[in-house]
Parts: sequence; C-alpha cells; structure tokens
Amino acid sequence: MSGTDDRVAVETSDRWPDDADETVGVVVNWFAAEGGHVAEGDAICEFQVEKVSVDVPAPATGTLEEIAVGEDEEFERGHRLAWIRPA
Amino acid sequence: MVAVNELQEMYENMVTARQYEERLQEEYLEGKQPAFDISAGPIPGELHLAAGHEAAGAGVCQHLRDDDTVTAPHRPHHVAIAKGVDLKRMTAEIFGRESGLSGGKGGHMHLFDPNVKFACSGIIAEGCPPAVGAGLAAKQRNTDSVAVAFLGEGAIDQGAFLESLNLASVQDLPVVFVVEDNDWAISMPKERVTDVENGAQRADGFGLHGARVDADDAVAVYDAARDAVGRARDGNGPSLLEVQVHRRMGHFMGDPEAYRPDEDKDAAQQRDSIERLEADLRANGVDDETIDDLRSRAHDRVEEAIEWAKDQPEPDPDDAYEDVFVNPPSGVTDSEPSTADTGGDD
Amino acid sequence: MAQQEDNASDQQADRSLTMSRAMVEAIAHEMRANDEVFYMGEDVADYGGIFDSTQGLLEEFGRDRIMDVPISETAYLGAAVGAAQEGMRPIAELMFVDFFGVAMDQIYNQMAKNTYMSGGSVNVPMVLTAAVGGTYNDAAQHSQTLYGTFAHLPGMKVVVPSTAYDAKGLMHNAIRDDDPVVYMFHKRLMGIGWLPAPDGPKTGVPEDDYTIPFGSADVKREGADVTIVTLGLHVHRALEAAADLADDIDVEVVDLRTLVPLDTETILDSVAKTGHLVVVDEDYRSYGVTGEIIASVAEAALDDLEAVERVALPDVPIPYARPMEDEVIPGTDDITEAVRTARGDE
Repeated sequence: MSGTDDRVAVETSDRWPDDADETVGVVVNWFAAEGGHVAEGDAICEFQVEKVSVDVPAPATGTLEEIAVGEDEEFERGHRLAWIRPA
Repeated sequence: MVAVNELQEMYENMVTARQYEERLQEEYLEGKQPAFDISAGPIPGELHLAAGHEAAGAGVCQHLRDDDTVTAPHRPHHVAIAKGVDLKRMTAEIFGRESGLSGGKGGHMHLFDPNVKFACSGIIAEGCPPAVGAGLAAKQRNTDSVAVAFLGEGAIDQGAFLESLNLASVQDLPVVFVVEDNDWAISMPKERVTDVENGAQRADGFGLHGARVDADDAVAVYDAARDAVGRARDGNGPSLLEVQVHRRMGHFMGDPEAYRPDEDKDAAQQRDSIERLEADLRANGVDDETIDDLRSRAHDRVEEAIEWAKDQPEPDPDDAYEDVFVNPPSGVTDSEPSTADTGGDD
Repeated sequence: MAQQEDNASDQQADRSLTMSRAMVEAIAHEMRANDEVFYMGEDVADYGGIFDSTQGLLEEFGRDRIMDVPISETAYLGAAVGAAQEGMRPIAELMFVDFFGVAMDQIYNQMAKNTYMSGGSVNVPMVLTAAVGGTYNDAAQHSQTLYGTFAHLPGMKVVVPSTAYDAKGLMHNAIRDDDPVVYMFHKRLMGIGWLPAPDGPKTGVPEDDYTIPFGSADVKREGADVTIVTLGLHVHRALEAAADLADDIDVEVVDLRTLVPLDTETILDSVAKTGHLVVVDEDYRSYGVTGEIIASVAEAALDDLEAVERVALPDVPIPYARPMEDEVIPGTDDITEAVRTARGDE
C-alpha cells in the first residue's frame, strides 16, 4: 500500500439511508472512469440499498485512480468504493 | 347487526388476502436482493400489493353473488379473493405459468375469471365503463345482477370515472362504484389532487347516492355496501361508496416511499382492519380456537395455492401468438380454451 | 461507441451520464434560461418521475414549475396545449405511453392539429414526454412503444433517443422547437438502479448545452455489407448483433433518433453502400416503422435494394410471462438471424 497515503478514499457511510437495515449495497452506475478527472462534490457514482438510489459525491478534486467496486458489484457498508489522487 | 357467520367469512377472506400478499412479497423479492431488479426473480414486472385494503374487498363482496360483475384496478388481489376468484389459477397467473387464469398472458394487473365475473385493468379508472356496461346488460335483460367497479382515490379525477357516474346515474343502472381511499396516488397525497375531502361528494354532482366509510372497518363497509348493493339489486340505481383504507406496502414493490412521512407510514401499520374485525369477532362470542382455525385455513389455502402455482410449467413461447381473436382470421393461430385441472380451490 | 460530432459544442467529457440524468440536465438548463419552461406530470415532483425523468428538479425549481398533477391526462395534457398556445413552453409527461388512450383527443386533435387548422396562425411549442418499452414483464398495458402510432399522425415531431449524449442534445432541441414534440424515452435505457440498462446508453455528456437537429440519423457503427436501421433500445441490440457477426458480415447500424422528421438521406446513403436493409423495431410489425422505412427506400432507390428484412413485434399485445415476452420482443439473436437471411446465408 506504499505510495497510496495521499489518496482520498470514496466512502459511503455518511450517505447510507438512515432507515436502511440492510448492510449490503450495490453500485449501479459509475459516472467517471479510472484515470478521469473528477471535481469535489460532483456525483461520481450511484449505489442502491433497499431499493433506494444514492449518489456519492467526489470527496476531492483530482484523478479517479482506482475503482474498487465496479458496476453491479455488491459491497459491505463502510467499504471503500474508489480512490482519488488529489490534483 | 351482521350475522356471526358473515363476520367469520369476511375475516377469513381478509386474513387470506393479507397472508397471500405477505407470501407474494417474499416470492417477489427472491432474486431481487440486494440489488432490486424489477425483471429478476420468480415474479417479474410490477407488483401492487393491497395490504391494508382488505376491508373494502371483503365488506363489499360479502353482498355479491357469482353472477354479479366486479372490475378492479391494478391493485386487485384482495378484491379477487373476496369475489371468489380461483386462487390457484390466479397465483399461477402471477407467476406467469401456463395454468394461470390467462395462461400467463395477463399477469397480476390483468386477472380475468369469467366463472365469478371478475376482471381487472392496469389503467386508472378504466374498469368503470365496463362495469357500467355490465349494469346495462343486467337492466336490459331484467336480471337482478349488479356490477361493482373498484378504484383508488387517485382515480376519482379521471374522466372515465366521472363519465361513468353520469351514465350509470342517468340510466338508473345497477352499478356500485367503490373508491378505496388509501390517501396516496403513488406519491401524491389526496389533498394535493382534489379539493374535495370526501370523494363520495362526487356523487352529488351526478345525482346518484353517495356515502363514505371513514374508518378502516369491515363491518362499517359491510353496512354501507348492503345499502348500496341493495339499491342496485332492487332497481333503485347506482351508488358511489368511498372507503378509507391504508397502504401498508408502498405503491408497488420497489417503491422506496421517500416522499411519504414516517408518521403516515407508521399510522398505516397501526390501523389494521383485520385486528379490528378480530375484536368484533370476540365481542360476538367467537372463541380463540375458532379464530385460530380460520387463520390456519387461510394459511393452508395460501400455501397450497403458491406451491401449486410454482409447480406449473411455464407457457410455451409460441403461446404468445394465440388468443388475439377467438375467431381468428385465416393465417392467425387458433387456440384452445385452457382446461387446466386445479384440483379445486377450496 | 464513437462519440458523435453533431456540432461545435461537442467536447471531451471525463464524466459519463445515464440517459435520465442527461435528459434532466437539459431540462434544468432550459428552465434556468427561460422562466416559461415548466414540467407537469404524475409523480414528477417529490418522486422525481417513476423512471427518474425529473430527478432532483423539484429542489431547484419548486412546485410551481415542477408540477404534480391529478390523474387527469385529458385535462393536464390539454392544459399544456393551451399554455403552449399562450406562448409558454410546457413539458408534459405521460407516465407510460400506453396511457395515451385516455387523452388521445388532446394529443392528436389539438396538440398535433391546431397549427395546421389555424393556417399557421397558432403554434404549440410543447414537449410531450413518455416512457416507452418492454423487456421487464409489465404486460400488455405498460410495455408498448407505440412509435408508429405517434409518427403516423401528422403534426407531431417524434424523438427517440438511444444514448445519454443524444438524449441531452435532443431534449434541448425539443424544448426550443416551436412545434409539438413527442419525446419517447425507453425505460430500459434510463440507467435506473432497479431496471438495469445494457452497456451503451451511458455515454460521455458535455456539461454545456448543445442541440442535435431533428432529422439527423446517426450511424452508430459503420459497415459495408448490411444496413440495420433501428431506434431506441434496439440500437444497442443491433450493435450487439453487429459485434457478434463481425467476423463474417460487416454491419452498419443507423440510429434514426427522430421518426418525424425522418432522415431518409442517411438511410439511402447506407443502403446504396450495402444493398441489404434490415429494419428493427420494438413496435408492432404491421402498418408501422418497419414498413415505412422499407417503403421509403423502395420508392427512392429500388435498384439499390438486393434484400430486405424486418424484425418487429408480431401483431399481438405484449404478453406477461417471460418466455412469451422474450418471444415477441426482438432479441439480438432475431437481429443476427435477419442479417444472415438478408445476406442469403440461410
């Protein structure tokens, strides 16, 4: 994991619907590709939990370096979806 | 006063409908978790459940005979059960099986059981005109059959409903319009789509009898429907009945109901017409054992129907080309009426 | 998929959008630019459109401009016509195109004809949006496309996007157009979590506004041997078929993007090159899009045509059960087979 310290993780914990008991979500759309530029606050992906769709804003401006959970893939609450290298 | 045996029949109908829908919900969600994909699982497509509406179906249909016509909207299961639709074949239809009521062509919004003169349609208020037509046939033929159109409160702003009220009224037809008011037309609360709090007031403008049942109460529905159906059967013209019900499971399965206040969702869970009727039964001296028997009979019937339906074969893809006409022009495939043996429903 | 180059505003976008988000972005842009643009429909405010067609707009524009209406299609679609004739720019949504039946008079006798009947002294600058299409087992009343029905009746421009990029540019154009535009979006292409889209409709979308002129079909894949002309969801199925066939047959895929006006020139150019025409449509076969395209080519360039095939929904209502729906809605294999047949491979 060396060299990744300055990367910013894309997380979902603070976006999780309050009334959802389910702890597994599914990424339904990525709006940015690996290597693409993202701007802080722009929706970069969308996940679904208990039939509710939630947008995830980019936590930083920079390059979307790595997508950890691809479209249609499931993830546990708290799992990191991607990494951004700040510009 | 309602006779105790009638209370018990209504109770069994309502419990059957509730248990049926709870089981359908389970089956429907299979293959749709954690990602909800509407086309996945054993029951694909939209599914509109009527949990919380049971009193309307049971209280009205308690006064109906097999030769009375009922049309229902996209949320039909409780009405179908109360009207005596073949539960096994209805379930097979919902699972898209060959032995379904329509051989899998209709699905849950388009259930037809001519044996008990039941039909439903997925387009808002569009069951009203055909109910008027059934009333017209009864009048022309001098029978004492009646027709009942069920619709949601969201449908009372639709032209087909308003025109039907007028036609039924001006021709004195034996029709009862039953508005199931669950407060919500998908995401639109009633107060934002009509300035009339009591939907039965629509009757005043067309000169027919109107009544509203405010409580989600099967006995009150039964009483109001006895009057309305009685009028129709006795040749005294149509009625409009609005019944307060509650939507317990969202507009359709998959509706996250983000627009709906939590208090409203909670209130719908608390006002349970089934519990209310159970209290009425006890007040009439019905003991626990009898109530348990009714519940377990409902349970067994539901399980049997679902198991039977899931065992039925899927239709052949080429069945899609049949049934466009009963008398097909040359070049169009003919079809045989379905003769699936369900082994009886009861 | 190759990025189209329709006009100067095209730019390399790092972000890609679903089709619904691209539509919404265009609507929001036009609403910011012009106070007289507003959106009305059922469940378009709090719900954001059952198929996400207005997601997020209520928060920015409020209830007066993102307007939930009662279930009264005749009234609100007709009201959109009236407001448009006053010079406003309404966008009115039919939740499912199948519901057009309850309001058809306002659509085809008013919206579509008032310009002509007034000798051009009145115009109707409105957009009628409607969700179309099947593939998720919603049965006969909620699965149609009805492309041919709207394109057949004179007086309406008819738009059918297949990608996010096209959806945005076509929406800008639709709102700015001085005539009535029917904008038909396919549910399966919107990119909704619960109705997963195929690969393809999600594309790069520039943040700035741009227009795609009506009557400009788009060659989504170039090829020398066979021309597939199609629209909507079936653009993606045709591209899949073309990829499957790539080793043997070099297929060109033409996406019509608008049915009215129809870009016959692009079709004729392609057929002049390939000599083999396959038209693929999700609407009913008879009296529809496939027949129209083939007739147009035959009239203009009969000598170019070596072979013609059409792939469309057979003339049956859309059945519910999966095996039957799969049978009638053209799949990738049906397209592959038609291409091979056109080439005389069978």
